[in-house]
Order: sequence, then C-alpha cells, then structure tokens
Amino acid sequence: MPITEAPSPRVLDVRPMLRAGEEPFQAIMDAVGALAPGQTLRLIAPFRPVPLFSVMANRGFAASDRPLADGDWEVTFSPVAGMQETPESEDLAVGSSPSAVFWGDPVLELDLCGLEPPEPMVRILEALETLEPGDVLFALLAREPVFLFPELAKRRHEWAGNFDASGTDYRLLIRHGGGKGH
Amino acid sequence: MPMASLSRWTMSYFAAALAFLIAAEALAVAGVGFPASGLAEPATLVIVHLVAIGWLSLAMAGALLQFVPVLVNRPLAFPQLALPALVALATGLLLLCAGFAALAGWIEVTLDLLPLAAAALLAGFALLGLMLTATLLSARPVALFARFVLTGLACLAATALSGGTFALVLSGRGDWLGGAALLPGGLPFHAVLGFGGWLGLIAFGVSYRLFVMFMMAPEPPARRVRPVLIGAGLGLGLAAAGLLAPFAGVEPGAGWLAAALAALAGAGACYGRDILALYRTRRRKALEINMLASIPAFAALAAGLALLPVAILVDAGEKPIAALGFLLAFGWLGGLTLAQLVKIVSFVTWLETYAPRLGRAPAPRVGDLVAMPRTGWWFLAYYGGGALAAAALALDAAQGFRWALLPGLAGTVGIAAELVRVRRLSEIKAAERPAAHDYPLLLLVRADERSSAHADHRSTLAPRA
Repeated sequence: MPITEAPSPRVLDVRPMLRAGEEPFQAIMDAVGALAPGQTLRLIAPFRPVPLFSVMANRGFAASDRPLADGDWEVTFSPVAGMQETPESEDLAVGSSPSAVFWGDPVLELDLCGLEPPEPMVRILEALETLEPGDVLFALLAREPVFLFPELAKRRHEWAGNFDASGTDYRLLIRHGGGKGH
Repeated sequence: MPMASLSRWTMSYFAAALAFLIAAEALAVAGVGFPASGLAEPATLVIVHLVAIGWLSLAMAGALLQFVPVLVNRPLAFPQLALPALVALATGLLLLCAGFAALAGWIEVTLDLLPLAAAALLAGFALLGLMLTATLLSARPVALFARFVLTGLACLAATALSGGTFALVLSGRGDWLGGAALLPGGLPFHAVLGFGGWLGLIAFGVSYRLFVMFMMAPEPPARRVRPVLIGAGLGLGLAAAGLLAPFAGVEPGAGWLAAALAALAGAGACYGRDILALYRTRRRKALEINMLASIPAFAALAAGLALLPVAILVDAGEKPIAALGFLLAFGWLGGLTLAQLVKIVSFVTWLETYAPRLGRAPAPRVGDLVAMPRTGWWFLAYYGGGALAAAALALDAAQGFRWALLPGLAGTVGIAAELVRVRRLSEIKAAERPAAHDYPLLLLVRADERSSAHADHRSTLAPRA
C-alpha cells in the first residue's frame, strides 16, 4: 500500500513499565494489533531492543532506530507495503506470526490433549530443544497455553495458534526461532 | 492477548492475608469477641473485619490479580496500582481495628479514626476495583465468568460504602443522614453483601473456571451456570435494597433478610450441583491436595447456606446464627481459600522458577513443591478445629470454642509455614534447584527480569550484552 496519507505514528513508551518491573511485550503486541493500516509504531525504550526487530520483521515491519539522550532509544517500526495481510482466521491468537502460512510441514506432531497442565507446556519446550532452527512443530492441546506464549517469545520461537471449528481442541504451530539454549 | 504474566505482588497479598488470619485466630483463642461479647459489639467487629478484609479480601484480591488476566486473556490493567492498593487496605484495616478498640474503650484515641479508616479502605478497594474492572471490560464480549466477578465487585462497592457510612455514624458524624436508622439494622445486609457477594459470588465464578482446569473436567454449559448468577444477583439485590430501605422510611425485617439469604441458598444449591458434577466427571482421577482440602469447605457451605435463612426466619438467636456464620466464613470461604492458596502458590512458584529451564535442565512437577502428606495433616487440624468450634458456638460453650479453635490456629500456622517452604523450594532435591540468585523471593514474583547463567531466557526486550 502506498503510504501517502499515513496516519500519524502511534507512540509507545515502555520505560515506565520496565521501571515498574513489568514485561512490556504484551503492551507492544497490543499496540501493533491496534495500528491502523499504514500507521507506524514509535517505541521508546531505555535500550536498543534488538530481539524485537526480528519479531516485528516477521510481522511485516521494518525497523529504524536512533539513540536519544540518557541512553534511551527511539525505534520506528514502519509497515512494509503488502506484508500486513491479516492472518486467514481472525481467531488466530494475538502474537501469532502472520508468516505461518509459508512455514514448511511440521517435522514433529504432538497430541497433548489428555495431559494435565502444565505438562503440555513442558513437553512442547522439551521437544523444541531437540529441533533445529526453522523446524516446525505442531501440537494439539485441550486449552490455549497462555503461560507458554511468553516463554516462546523469550526463546524467540514463532507461533500461530487457534481453536478448531468445534472449539474443543487448540491447534498450535511453532517454528523454531534458532534461539540457543545454554 | 493470550499472554499470561505472573502478578508481581500476589505473594505479598497472600502473606499479609495469612498474617491477618493468624492474628484473628490468636485473638479469638485469647477470648476476644463473640461469644464473650455480642455479635455487633466492637470486640467481635475487630475479629470479623480482620477475617473479612485482612484475610479473605486480601487473599481474594491477590488471586484475582493473578487469574483475572489469565481467564480473560488480557493483560492486567494499571498493574502499578497493586502495591498502593495493598498498602491502603492494610493501613485502613489497622486503623479500623484501632477505631473499634476505641469504641470498646480499650484505648483512648479519637473516634475519627473510624471514618479515616473507612477512607483508606475505600481508596484501596477502589484501586483494586479499577484494575479488575478495566481488565474484565477490555475483553469483549464480556464472558459469563467476568459477570460473576463484576457483580461481586459491585457488591464490594456497596459493602465498602455502607461500611464507610456506618463508620461515620459510629464516630458521631452521621447527622447528615437525616435520622435514618442505619444501625444496627443495616449490619446483616452489609455482611451479606461482603461475604455473599464480594467473597462468595466471586469464589463461585472463579471456581467454575479454575476447577475445570485443575481437575480436567468438562466445562459446565452456560445455561447451567447462568441461574447461579441470576439467583445470587436477586439475593444480593435484595440485600442492597435492605441497606437503602431506611432512607425511604422502611425498616427491613427478618423476613427481608431471610428472603435475600434464601435466594443465595438457591444459587448455592445450583452451584453445589455443578461442583459435584465437576468432581464426578473429572479426567484427573487422583485428587490433588487443593481439591481434596476443598471438599470440607463445600460441606460447610451446604450446611451453612441451607440453615442460615431458617435460623434468621425463626429468630433462633445470636448463637446459632453466629455458629452458621462461623461455619461459612471459617469453613467454606477460609478453607477453600487456604486449599487453593496451596495450588496457586506452588503453581506460580513453579512457573517463575522452572519455565525458563524447561527442556534445558531437570525440572520437578508442580506437585513436587508441596510437602505431602504433611500439608494434608494441617488441613485436618484446621477443619477439625473449625467443626468443633462451630459446634461449641451453637451449644453456647465459650471455653470450648476457644479450645476448639486452637487446632484450627495450629493448622493455619502449619499451612502458612508450608507455603513459605514452597516459595523456598524446600521439597526440591538439589539437582533440580536453581542457582542461589534465581531462587524465588518470598514476597515478590519476578517473572521476567532475571538474568541467569543456567538458561537463556532473556526477555524479548532485554538489552543484548
């Protein structure tokens, strides 16, 4: 899309959250989800948030950054034309990678529906440690693994998940993001 | 947003709550309050408010701050208000107890402490209500579970406002009320809204969602759950109307109160049927300690809620009513809260400590953090003492009540000590313990801010070295 009449940037300052000890990833993803077409996100952080660049690139945003006074950084995430297609299903978990449709076939499929929480989370994270960067894992769960997502984000894996049509099984695709353990 | 964070201050809420419970039980064992004093006398009010605000409300608040965001899949709104709310509530409660002590003639301070306490409590509950309401309303459409909590929060507002008004009346500054006789007639409605609405109804709503998860039971359909909310809403609406009736020149009698309680009892019966179904249809066959230790709480709920409207209606007198109220507060709400604290504290501690290690280092299971069967023995002491104490109240055995509460107090202290041991990972074998600097803190959950050598779990936003 040409960005001739782009709306003014949305500004998100995560410094107060970080000072309060809060994890700002959710707030950033919420802000990204609330962007109008063509709108840019201007993020103010107390450091250069390098890992976020790849997360945002996967969502179709290019990053440009500049240092501010006092060691703070301002990063502008601009939408790259044509890369913001919304995922096919509106019900995809927020935080899901829009590029999931281009991922390869899963190398591993796990049916975790019968397991007691948090065992599904344990199995998925254990399985991911055995996979190579770029490998895709598919898991079937009985509920949305809300406590798994922050851990996936920290380990820089990508995911896309939703409930099946009947609403009983949760389907989760995870692509190994190459984050190294140890 | 399906990203669940750990609530930073929840452990501090729980610690304060347990401290207030132990204080209340110790005072009761020492003979303060009913039955040595009347039900509406200051000494009893000290104990009742230590339990209602200090213990049950703070524990409920801590649990809601952790689980409301999880259950509605939204981040907690205004998380920076959690600590100011806790400080305001604890300060307000201590001032309130000092005000009651002045009323009782134990200390000589101005009775203006009472409205001051009410102001601090109102501020604390308002902050809490703001965080939870904003979080619940940020998820649309508003789910049935959220309606339970929102209704409960409305009851909390009514309870806190009526309590504030009583504080003005008791401190001699209630002239502006124009002679409406709020006390003592308003007291039972204030108690019904607090215990039945804010604490009880939210316990209903939250347990539907959490028990499905804890026991791997099928979710009860909304058409079965909705009557519980409607019935309870009716009873609580009647109770709120009972508070306001004096302003219209109407004096609500025992029938009014009994009708409100009967509606709550009807809702409780539907709820009990659903909970029984959850236990029966569970796929997790072996019950964990939190679900086992909740069973006596449900028995107390059944007995208390069935008999209380009858006792009010036939004007059975203070003793049976006190015994039934004790059964509901100590047996049902208190027991259920203690039982679920074991689960919540161990789960949060496990997640905080081991989520970054999963797949990379040995990790125990959540249940391994809890010392069993020792924790079960503490619950036995708690419920055994509670049952004897309720019987002693009903039989008008004041000395017996104090002695019976002693095992209850021992059980509470034991459970609190077990929770501290869970935070300290005392049950975990050395190979599965994290490095010393990654140990959970006792009162603070630091889920996303640790740098550690044993695993690369830097936050997405953490600076790169």
